[in-house]
Amino acid sequence: MSYFIMQIMPYITLVVFTFGVLFRLGRWAGSRIVHNITLAPFPQRNSQVLGIFAAEAIFFRSLFSSDRTLWVGAWLMHIALFSVIGGHIVGIYTLGEEFIYLGLSSDLSKEMSALLGVTFGILMLAALVYLLIRRFTITKVKAVTGPSDYLMLILLLAIVTIGDIMRVFEHQFGIDYAPVKDFVAHLIMLKPLPLDHLALTTPFFVLHIFFVQILLMLFPFSKLMHVFGMFANRWIINRVYKEPAPGLPNVDIAAARQAGIGVPSGEGGV
Amino acid sequence: MPTYKDMVQPVRATENDMKKIHIDPTPDDQKCDKALQYLDEMRKKFRSFVTAMESCVKCGACAENCHTYLGTKDPNNIPTNRAELIRKIYKRYFTLEGRWFGKLVGAEDISLDVIEQWYSYFYQCSECRRCARSCPFGIDTCEVTFVGRQILHWLGIVPKLHASVGAAMEKVGNHTNLPKPGLVDTLEFLADDILEEFGVEMTFPVDKPNSDILYIPSSADFLLNEYTLKGAGLFFSYIGANWTIPSIVAEAGNFGYLFDQRFTQRHNVMRLLDAAQNLGVKKIVWGECGHGWRAAKMYIPTMADRPVPWPITHIHDEVAYYINTNQLKLDPTKNSKPVTLHDPCNYARACDLQENLRTVMKASVVDFREMTPNKDWTFCCGGGSGILFDDPEMYQRRIQLSAKKAELVRATGVGADGNGILCAPCSICKAQLYPMVEEHKLGVEVKGLIDLVGKALVWK
Ligand code: HEM
Ligand code: SF4
Ligand code: SF4
Ligand code: SF4
Repeated sequence: MSYFIMQIMPYITLVVFTFGVLFRLGRWAGSRIVHNITLAPFPQRNSQVLGIFAAEAIFFRSLFSSDRTLWVGAWLMHIALFSVIGGHIVGIYTLGEEFIYLGLSSDLSKEMSALLGVTFGILMLAALVYLLIRRFTITKVKAVTGPSDYLMLILLLAIVTIGDIMRVFEHQFGIDYAPVKDFVAHLIMLKPLPLDHLALTTPFFVLHIFFVQILLMLFPFSKLMHVFGMFANRWIINRVYKEPAPGLPNVDIAAARQAGIGVPSGEGGV
Repeated sequence: MPTYKDMVQPVRATENDMKKIHIDPTPDDQKCDKALQYLDEMRKKFRSFVTAMESCVKCGACAENCHTYLGTKDPNNIPTNRAELIRKIYKRYFTLEGRWFGKLVGAEDISLDVIEQWYSYFYQCSECRRCARSCPFGIDTCEVTFVGRQILHWLGIVPKLHASVGAAMEKVGNHTNLPKPGLVDTLEFLADDILEEFGVEMTFPVDKPNSDILYIPSSADFLLNEYTLKGAGLFFSYIGANWTIPSIVAEAGNFGYLFDQRFTQRHNVMRLLDAAQNLGVKKIVWGECGHGWRAAKMYIPTMADRPVPWPITHIHDEVAYYINTNQLKLDPTKNSKPVTLHDPCNYARACDLQENLRTVMKASVVDFREMTPNKDWTFCCGGGSGILFDDPEMYQRRIQLSAKKAELVRATGVGADGNGILCAPCSICKAQLYPMVEEHKLGVEVKGLIDLVGKALVWK
């Protein structure tokens, strides 16, 4: 079982994810922007468009104005998510020694890496719980939530909880960076790992990877497509618009007023 | 009639009404198949619709940003749930997850009941786009409403109000069925009035060849908003413009945009282009109509079947320009009552007119008080997209749909002494707000913006 999850399933995941996303994006691209539905205020330059995209993607600006309580949870969750994803990549690649580049010693860097990992892991857990509670308790959110929305949050919670457990109870359940890097490298090189490799025998790690792969396979067929959806949507509604010049043809107001147009004769102009 | 299984619905166009707008209603036993066929066509065409179908995270942020949910507390009036009425069908027939997991992901088989839901809820949406403004991704439920209404139209399900307006547009070129003699009579009458009230001698030229400017008023101005028409007339006279009103398209609105964004909408556009060509004008200036201005400014470029050589601007673009360049002499003390501005959503979210409205307002009145929220966060008056139904059930809905706006108007305090002005420079807003300010006892009178300009102009 663990052999399937760790050595065969990753390739299936990769194929489903890649072709799934391409299929979806291809369908979006096949439809067209038929009419101009730019949302005011209209940007005048592409740099302003970029500014809107950045403010929305980085700060969730619209959400900040439209629903502050959701913004708090959603923004924290995403910030933690990006930090965690970034941490995974850098940490695994450098074996936790990424902070050497900032002048820390190797040991200190590893501790720093662990500390940040725990912090953002717990933060993300808290934010996800917050989002889940929101779905159960706020009338309007309950009214828009379906079974798959709960399930998606629960799946995320499972991934994050397992990750946090591996971090917090490192010695009982965790795994070091080195075997993980080994695992990734072997996957990339299409080389199988020995059956007794730590990556295949650490139960929480196997479970973590299992749920992550489920998530990635669901990705193209779920609301996680909002990652691309946001940009696709804003590409339609946030674009440059040039106004036609104001000013009416053959109008000379000074002359008209001078001539007293409209003022009944007898009392008119000069 | 105007309810179906506890849902309110507007009175329907009869088969005969539908024939006048060139549709043979689909028999019930074929409706579901046809609806799917049309939906398939729409989803392949409109990306704004597809992304609305496929990227919502059901976060609920749009809910309390839509006046229809705030006013009715009906969960189907939450923007994403309104979209879900189509999304559940879309998922079931056009996505893998919907076909495989069905109910789990909210997919549902199509049925006549679903089509009736569409009719009820797509005609409670005012296409105001506050959902698009508030959604973290900018998902525009207005686009979903467009698709829903278009499919309903092809099936032969259209409110009687919209269908009869559509028929009038084709017959005489305006919404209120006014033929040319009626237009000319009214305008002569208004000119007499102007002489009496403002001491200004002027005429409203109709179909005058070799005019420079084609002015497109809302036909409702001839019947309901006379001061809007007078204000425009005064402005054009004041600046000494060579202008005219075309009798074949005396209509700033375009109801086609609201239920049939194909033939009905395009027909009105072609009338406009014909008029501009025949009268030899150089520029087209639009009157006060929210959806109509959106339909003109944003849709004519993609609707017209031939080149459009005439620039098209809004009358308040022009007034603001002359104010900014100090060419208009306005005396704000002539409008001394407290005024607040209702930003018509179509101006403020779809056309970027909100700043010019303020330039004009501030130059024309003494006591201007902003409403909050305003500009691109404005709440709709509740009548948007022509949902001005007056059968008892729908009328009650209109009161609910305008509740949010009423609350905001009250908060400005302009009506505290019962002599305030609620400026609503859009024909549909006016038609909605005239009765609604009474229903909500706001102590304000509803006026257009060019009305106030007309009054404030200094002639000597
Ligand atoms: C680009 C800008 C993005 C914005 C504005 C955004 C916004 C949101 C919002 C508002 C939610 C809803 C929270 C809730 O369910 O209550 C959400 C959920 C989520 N987002 Fe994003 N997101 C963005 C990008 C991303 C990216 C890049 C990822 C992944 C790499 C991501 C992953 C998720 C996940 C996993 C959820 C949880 C789904 C759920 O609630 O079931 N998002 N996002
Ligand atoms: S705000 Fe946008 S993403 Fe959130 S539920 Fe509404 S439409 Fe969906
Ligand atoms: S367009 Fe306006 S009325 Fe329609 S769903 Fe969006 S916010 Fe509500
Ligand atoms: S009627 Fe007025 S407020 Fe309402 S949608 Fe139209 S422009 Fe907006």
